[in-house]
Amino acid sequence: MRISNRRLGQLRQGQGEIANHVIDEFAAGRISRREFIRRGSVIGISMPLLGAIISACSSSSSTAPATSSSSGAPAGKAGAIIKAGIVTPTGQINPVTVPDQGGLDMLGQTGEYLCLSDQTLTLKPVLATSWSANSKADVWTFKIRQGVKFHNGAPLTADDVVYTYKLQSNPSGSSNALSVFGGVLTPAGVKKVDDHTVAFHLEAPNGNFPYLTSSDNYNMIILPNGYDPTKWQSSFIGTGPFVLNSYTPKVGASFKRNESYWGTKALPSATQFTFYDTQTPSILALTAGTIDVVGQFSVAGAEQLLTGGYNIIRLKSSAHRELSMRCDQAPFTDPRVRQAIALALNRPGIIQALFKGYADVGNDSPFAPVFPSTNSGVAQRAQDLAKAKSLLSAAGHGSGFSTQLITEQAQEIPQYAQIVVQEAAAIGVKVSLKVESSAAYYGKATFGNSDWLDATMSLVDYGHRGVPNVFLGAPLESINAKTGTGAWNAAHFSNSQYDKLVSQYVGAIDLSTQRSIAGQIQTLLLDQTPVIYGYFYNYLTATAKNVSGVYPTAIGHLFLTSATKG
Amino acid sequence: MSDSEGGAQVTAAPAAPAATVAVARGTRGGALPRWRLLVRRPTFIVGAVILLFWIVCAMFGHLIAPDNPLAQNLLSPNTGPSGAHWLGTDQLGRDVLSRILAGARDILLITLLATLLGTVLGTVLGLAMGYFGGAFDLVTGRIVEAVLALPAVIIAFLFVVALGPSTVTLVVLIGLIFTPLIARTVRAAVLAERHMDYLSAARLLGERPAYIMFREVLPNVMPAILVEFTVRLGYAVFTVATLSFLGFGVQPPTPDWGADIAANYGVLPAGYWWETLFPALAIASLVTAIILVTDSIEQVLSS
Repeated sequence: MRISNRRLGQLRQGQGEIANHVIDEFAAGRISRREFIRRGSVIGISMPLLGAIISACSSSSSTAPATSSSSGAPAGKAGAIIKAGIVTPTGQINPVTVPDQGGLDMLGQTGEYLCLSDQTLTLKPVLATSWSANSKADVWTFKIRQGVKFHNGAPLTADDVVYTYKLQSNPSGSSNALSVFGGVLTPAGVKKVDDHTVAFHLEAPNGNFPYLTSSDNYNMIILPNGYDPTKWQSSFIGTGPFVLNSYTPKVGASFKRNESYWGTKALPSATQFTFYDTQTPSILALTAGTIDVVGQFSVAGAEQLLTGGYNIIRLKSSAHRELSMRCDQAPFTDPRVRQAIALALNRPGIIQALFKGYADVGNDSPFAPVFPSTNSGVAQRAQDLAKAKSLLSAAGHGSGFSTQLITEQAQEIPQYAQIVVQEAAAIGVKVSLKVESSAAYYGKATFGNSDWLDATMSLVDYGHRGVPNVFLGAPLESINAKTGTGAWNAAHFSNSQYDKLVSQYVGAIDLSTQRSIAGQIQTLLLDQTPVIYGYFYNYLTATAKNVSGVYPTAIGHLFLTSATKG
Repeated sequence: MSDSEGGAQVTAAPAAPAATVAVARGTRGGALPRWRLLVRRPTFIVGAVILLFWIVCAMFGHLIAPDNPLAQNLLSPNTGPSGAHWLGTDQLGRDVLSRILAGARDILLITLLATLLGTVLGTVLGLAMGYFGGAFDLVTGRIVEAVLALPAVIIAFLFVVALGPSTVTLVVLIGLIFTPLIARTVRAAVLAERHMDYLSAARLLGERPAYIMFREVLPNVMPAILVEFTVRLGYAVFTVATLSFLGFGVQPPTPDWGADIAANYGVLPAGYWWETLFPALAIASLVTAIILVTDSIEQVLSS
């Protein structure tokens, strides 16, 4: 890499300490170009500046844009009506309470976020034009876009952003986003600087805070100041490229192009969404030509889509299953026993059987291969029955033992559970399986009232997140009823060293520090193995061959603003 | 019997059953050629052979099965019927034929025990309702009708959710659900017997009601109970399979027809029909066999 230091010096001027650190890391070759774009976008370096820095650091003038996958090259005509099938929203479409994929998909049709976490986890400005942090990364300042109008004609100002963020971070409220904002942001920390600037004063330093304002934190569409979120379902008010035409709960929704949109106008003249409770009818609707797009599908039962007759959009994701073992209950009090179970699993075989290979192998920590901060230097755990048996013997269970695994009836989970049962049997561990409805399994989702959190072995689903912070927190941090940490800790894992490392990780600002701490966390979790992370499955979207420009995100959005039909 | 009254009472006791046995024997005496009639009916033979096949599977399925019904092969899931796997393999590469053969055990066991329980309880209740009549019949009759107004599967569903799925729960639950159905049939049969002379005779002899019900009436309504038992057996298969399909039966990975259909019908659109069709055919063949046997028994008994 030939570096124009003079040019780089000019570009560095005026950037904050954190931004300059990232620029230096890139210039020193410690992070790749793609990682630089991704990381730079998070801390608020604008895209043109990122491009200029890359060209200053490279003899080649070509700047590689972050690769994105959408369905093929644009070939179709604009002005089409795009028909999509998505999973039925579980309840009322209320931006504060929506917890599910169908619901967040609806939010994203007409609402917009401060920024978009795109398919490569790069942040793109949307309603915020730029953002930057102080040197400690505990105050983040966002510039709000001017000239944006809500669907009712009211202009977007800092007041709307402040209202939305105070509403969603209120600890006594019912916001679903509290799982993200807990310990990070309170209403008192949301401050209007001027009409188009908002500052977030955080509870603790957080190098990834801009992700929490992005589409990854899917509840955070900006609402008009004072708007009652319980009424949102009747208006779908937002600033986005589509406006609501009609919404019928449990049936579907339709939208039309927002002709006074602030940015590039949507290509389709209208979109129609049909809700499906299960996958099979949506796949049949696509193959029959009733719909053009299936928002998400799992490989089981949809293999016929993979044979070339459809456009498949494949996104790496951090969506996974957590197989937890009660660290406070015999025989799993001994880490060797937990390791033995983990060593019994044939992960490539599991991925082949359940996903036809459309998944990444997990390494018993939430650091999925998709995360830039994941330390790929940590060795991958593989099946080793001999080692598993010797670990069991060393732990005093040479002749095996019996235990129970409780899980939920959802997607491929019962199949995965049966594989675990079978492979554990190979090392003499007899696992009896109990598969419940999701409602029965989650129970009240509090300790003592939930099979999910109380079972000796428990297998639960986790959706995609753009950063591993949530995965590192609630499911693994020591349980503390007062502070609310460890609220999803089904393994009842308690390790002060781990807690310390996670708070260091969350506060770390530059990628190399994050990666170094991630390596320590990964090694600690491999050693302790409170939870088995078998795989991270790909997010798959299918469209008809004549449809292009469909843009899903792994968190569950389906953006159709650039979609065309030929 | 010209002695004292006490003596008459002492001797009356053995005399009455003798009369009853004569009546009962009359029935049984007629039934012997009826059994011969039964085995001459081709429908009975077909039904009985299929039923016998599944009973053998239920008892020895694990031994007959060509493969271990639990053995997975993650590298060759969803393979179609072939010489190696006559009915193909499922999503985890398990042999579908072996799972069906081994899966006969739980459905037959639960079905049989539940129907037996329901028949015993229903018979007791029906006998009492028919024999006592009056207020007792009126009150229990309304309760029975109220229970009958609800679909069996819905009641079962509610209780399994509340109590948690287990084999014992299913047996007791389905048995209790069938009790009022069987009670109603038995009651109707008892009402037909109620004004028969042999009952009046037994009453005049001072027999206790329980004795009359079980020793006098029961043998005479036995054919109706037998038919009711076989009919309910068919319904029980459906109920057990439905609950298994909904995930409230035997837990995976234990092979079970209903649960296997539920686990595999999602991959039907991908063309993997054998994983769903063959367990479904197993259920259908079992129910059909029971119906064939039931029809034959009913016709022979009523001829």
